[in-house]
Amino acid sequence: MIFRFTLGLAVALALLEPAAFAADPGAPIRERFADSQTQPSFQKHVLPLMSKLGCSGRACHGSFQGQGGFRLSLFGYDFKQDHEALVVGDAPRVNLESPAESLVLLKPTMQEDHGGEKVIDEASWQYNILAGWIRSGAIDDSAVNSEIGRLEIQPAELIFGRAGESAPLRVLAHWRDGAIEDVTDITRFRTNDDSVAKVDELTGVVTAEGRGDTHIVAFYDNGVAAVAAMLPASDKVGPNYPTIAASTKVDELIAAKLRKIGVVPSGLCSDEEFLRRASLDICGALPMPEEIRQFRANASPDKRAEKIDELLLRPDYAAWWTTVICDITGNNADQLEIAGKYLEPESASNWYDWIYRRVSENTPYDKMMEGLVLAVGRRPSQSYADYCAEMTSYVRAADPADFSQRDTMPLFWGRRNMQKPQEKALMFSYTFLGVRLQCAECHKHPFDQWTQEDFNSFQAFFTGVVYRRQDRRDPEVAAMMRAVGVDPDAGKGNGNNPGRQLAQAAREGKTTPFPELVASSGPQKGKNGPKQIKKPNAGARVITPKVLGGEEVMLANYSDPRQPLMDWMRSPENPYFARAWVNRVWSRYFGVGIIDPPDDLNLANPPSNAELMDYLTTGFVHSGYDMKWLHRTIAASDAYQRSRTTNETNALDRRNFSHALLRRLPAEVALDAITMATAGGAERDRLHGDVRSRYIGLKATQGGSGRGQREYSLGVFGRPDRVTTCDCERSDDPTLLQSLFLFNDGEMHKLINAGGWIADLQRVERYPDIEEQISRTRARLKQQEQHQEEKRAAATRTELAKLQAASLANISDRGALVEELYLRTVSRMPGGDERAAALELLHGADSVSSGMRQLLWVMLNTKEFILNH
Amino acid sequence: MSSHVFCDGIRRRDFLAYGAAGAGLSLPAFLEKTVIGEVNPAARGKSAIFVQLAGGPSHIDTFDLKPDAPDANRGEFKPIKTNVGGVEICEHLPKLAQCADKYAILRGVSHTLAAHDLGTKYLNTGNRPLPSLEFPGYGAVIMKELSGDPDLPHFVAVPNTPQSGGYLGPAYGALRTGKTPKVGERFSIRGLDLEKGITLEDIRKQQDLLKRFDAAFSDFDKRDPLVSGLDEFNERAYAMLTSDKARQAFDLSRESPSINLMFGDDGFSASCLLATRLVEAGVRFVTVSLGGWDTHADNFTQLKTKLLPPLDAGLAGLFNALSTKGLLDSTSVFVTGEFGRTPKINQRSAEGGRDHYPRAMFCLLAGGGMNGGQVIGESDATAAGPRSEAIAPDDVAASFYKSVGIDVTKEYHTPSGRPVMIVRHGKPLTRLWS
Repeated sequence: MIFRFTLGLAVALALLEPAAFAADPGAPIRERFADSQTQPSFQKHVLPLMSKLGCSGRACHGSFQGQGGFRLSLFGYDFKQDHEALVVGDAPRVNLESPAESLVLLKPTMQEDHGGEKVIDEASWQYNILAGWIRSGAIDDSAVNSEIGRLEIQPAELIFGRAGESAPLRVLAHWRDGAIEDVTDITRFRTNDDSVAKVDELTGVVTAEGRGDTHIVAFYDNGVAAVAAMLPASDKVGPNYPTIAASTKVDELIAAKLRKIGVVPSGLCSDEEFLRRASLDICGALPMPEEIRQFRANASPDKRAEKIDELLLRPDYAAWWTTVICDITGNNADQLEIAGKYLEPESASNWYDWIYRRVSENTPYDKMMEGLVLAVGRRPSQSYADYCAEMTSYVRAADPADFSQRDTMPLFWGRRNMQKPQEKALMFSYTFLGVRLQCAECHKHPFDQWTQEDFNSFQAFFTGVVYRRQDRRDPEVAAMMRAVGVDPDAGKGNGNNPGRQLAQAAREGKTTPFPELVASSGPQKGKNGPKQIKKPNAGARVITPKVLGGEEVMLANYSDPRQPLMDWMRSPENPYFARAWVNRVWSRYFGVGIIDPPDDLNLANPPSNAELMDYLTTGFVHSGYDMKWLHRTIAASDAYQRSRTTNETNALDRRNFSHALLRRLPAEVALDAITMATAGGAERDRLHGDVRSRYIGLKATQGGSGRGQREYSLGVFGRPDRVTTCDCERSDDPTLLQSLFLFNDGEMHKLINAGGWIADLQRVERYPDIEEQISRTRARLKQQEQHQEEKRAAATRTELAKLQAASLANISDRGALVEELYLRTVSRMPGGDERAAALELLHGADSVSSGMRQLLWVMLNTKEFILNH
Repeated sequence: MSSHVFCDGIRRRDFLAYGAAGAGLSLPAFLEKTVIGEVNPAARGKSAIFVQLAGGPSHIDTFDLKPDAPDANRGEFKPIKTNVGGVEICEHLPKLAQCADKYAILRGVSHTLAAHDLGTKYLNTGNRPLPSLEFPGYGAVIMKELSGDPDLPHFVAVPNTPQSGGYLGPAYGALRTGKTPKVGERFSIRGLDLEKGITLEDIRKQQDLLKRFDAAFSDFDKRDPLVSGLDEFNERAYAMLTSDKARQAFDLSRESPSINLMFGDDGFSASCLLATRLVEAGVRFVTVSLGGWDTHADNFTQLKTKLLPPLDAGLAGLFNALSTKGLLDSTSVFVTGEFGRTPKINQRSAEGGRDHYPRAMFCLLAGGGMNGGQVIGESDATAAGPRSEAIAPDDVAASFYKSVGIDVTKEYHTPSGRPVMIVRHGKPLTRLWS
């Protein structure tokens, strides 16, 4: 069979790769071990071969219980354990006296019974690797070997011409000592989407299956590398590709990718669509009707860029992105008892406010996160008593001090599910690095480079970080408790609850003892202090902390063990810290990350557009971690402003940003939008001006105390509990319960009917002479005030306010009402047919208000309302 | 709401379908929904109930006891006889022992995925999870293949389920009740009860209006799974609201006392009772769930005090009530966790625990024309693996589907056009029918 293979540019790029000239990678493994002369290495050849053959997989000897009395470390990379499993024990798999009698040779060749069937032939190159290693003494050379620097795949990318075409891959291991080796034959391969390209697991030959783009991933030792494999979606490639204007660097980089895969992007969306989309994504809120009218009327050619700048200045922007950051940092009142029992709602609010201030002031992202990473309880030289006074001041009910002014935000470390060092390591890598380390807690990560040792070395940073509960046996604590009338020796029970009493005292402003976050490099003392971490089966060896994929750190040089981590995250070459945030922000604007899922940065999950990812990350770091730079750069791109209407080349594209993807409004945003769309004029203005009282403000954050209906609706729309290390905890999928909620829930009926916009309209109907009514009411109020009938006056004042609000609703102009309805809900003017249909309905309705009530219900139930498009 | 944090820290309360994750994003397949035609009319199962034992129940302490195994494995529970000769189960499952003729015990079910989420996906779809494809759960496939009563939800999860529409799209997701019912009490689903002063006529008028006004998204946009999902859920919500069927089915206070007596007074029992009522009314697929099986520590105390009593009461009630109502023959029941637990007892807690163990686990299958009162498959002397041939989760899935007349070799197409069989590698277990 002859394969036509159009690599062209890709091959040329691969040849230009300087490393290809640096050293000779040698012949392929199968040739070098074709005879038994070459000496194999345990780490470089034997274990990768056994991994490739599947020996260390979960189904075979990698199972935690082993298989047939022989256990290898799962997915390899525990050299010591694997070496021992092979050479020592009652029935060693290796026979040094007569190598050919080794079980590790007899079984896979089925000379002796093997549950896993025959996997290699005698005298094959695979056999020679195993046999040669045994003959040379079966030594574990992992300690003397250099570590792998990187894995390289040639060619650098694969662009196929049609389905069925194949291309071979070559995999080179670059060791840190400069050696390069062709390891293709003992590399494992995986495709990330086998509907686009398949890979032969033995040979690494890639075959195009269907249109689209994906990656083929190679695994060798703990190196992981990925190569893009593409089959263009249309014949519009190369010279056939139309000229697409790219107004920003972001668009240039996206166009470069689209050109390769024959995808033509959609055109730009309308001004109304842009305004709605940008308001939702930047501010988590729908635009106000007046704003839409003004934007439509604005003739400035730069009005979109100007609008982006304007939106970024609003408190709504700060509130919504504070909500996002509270998601990834895990602000959940139910988890905060350690930081102050029975004061959880205050703690959650303080957490929100602390983030809010920094987003609002556009504090550099690294600086803000440093406030979490390096958080401590006491300031240097602050006494415990002063610290407790300070903490009390933040939770007292009357005129609380401003927690957001604190330099650091220790609550992050105070969550119940973040007390063990391994929990801290998992949460830390999720929040700040977008890296999922879960697998490596127990074994080598199957898809990423992380080994169990990496995990242990990483969690060693956190052993000295402890949120200390106040100890009632401590005389100072006991004295403080007595001072507020709580007996430190009394237990809980018999109606006695010291914790609740302390919380009550703190709310009253009386200084009470508080738990405090401490971080030190030395081992912690005390009952709750951490013990030395022991690696399973490794005796009492203390693990040296090591940053992920980096160097070992001598903690003795630092007073705070987290300082070297922060330094590492800030270093320009850090591959995670800035990138994780950039990617998360991008995913909120596009509904899909450049790396997706957005919180899964791993070598086997490469970005769909690496150049774009790098450009934005570098730009973000160079901007001084300026969050607004990032928002502006993304929102100002053509890519963000594209229409949702697709063409035949990009209809199926969901990962290259060639058109807008529909997204359901996030829970808080949806409920705010419903509330604002149904609110009466005065209430709407109040909510517009007071973002803290909205769902994207504190309304959804405090939790704990306010369980009930509000919580129900937030849950129905997928607000995350913020307890797991996954962005996917927030669900933006539609469900039947959501439809039932919008269609018929009591809460919806109440919002539409009671006290809102529709009620205003009813009031106008009831009082056709509303202006006269207002002046009569005003006169009555004056009288009541003169007679000091305070109770009556208060009621009259309320009535007056309602009448004044209602008087603003112009009920005679039905066309204006219909316009207002459309602007309130779908943020655009009604089309001609829509206007006519709505007017017809109003004409036939019992009253204008009842017709408007129906129409408002209808619009809130449209797809156009609940989707961001 | 049942809510358990597993050892990996993930709380499985929601089991939500994160359909947007992964490349295999859903398609509006229901638009091209075929009528029931392709379902085998000979199959007796018309509805199905899936019981999720989240966390991975210990097989060796429940349905696969090894009284002769060494101390390090055996555990403290003794076997008891059942009403089927030669079949023994755990002493803490006395009610289930008395109705063992109604279900088949599958032993030596085996796979290799020892993480909760992967194992859960496997057992809830019958397909080993792939990174590039989100498989639909049983409920989604059954919803697609067996057209149901339009006035009822087709797929109800009490309270939640890990089964999603997968590549079929969010439209095939479950109605999640989000909370657990109580025996003898009205169970209201918010949004399902009509508000005071609102008549069915009002609802009908509103829906007509919505149809007229919700036209802004062109037909082209309907190819988007979000659009089609919203349409589907709207239709469903409307149909449910305008009929009394659903409201009555959810109302446990309407159940007869004699049926109520078959169940315990715990939430799992009530969920099982609700499942029988829903199936009786015509709902195609119901999942119920009992969590907390992740017994890394204090395995035995947890089992005998917290887990086995409700399991015994609920499941026995389910089998007996279905049987009494004459529904067992037309209702397939599948009971499973995501994996078994290590036969060797770990020593990390005072009394020991058991860890994740996919190589040997149990499942129960009942009803839908499948023969109960038998044990299929066998584990080895220490319940450490299948004795001879393993039963794969794929085989159990193929059997379950077969009992409701679904041919698992049927191919669906993913949004990107990739053909995928309903169960990619399973064969029905013939002994269920012979």
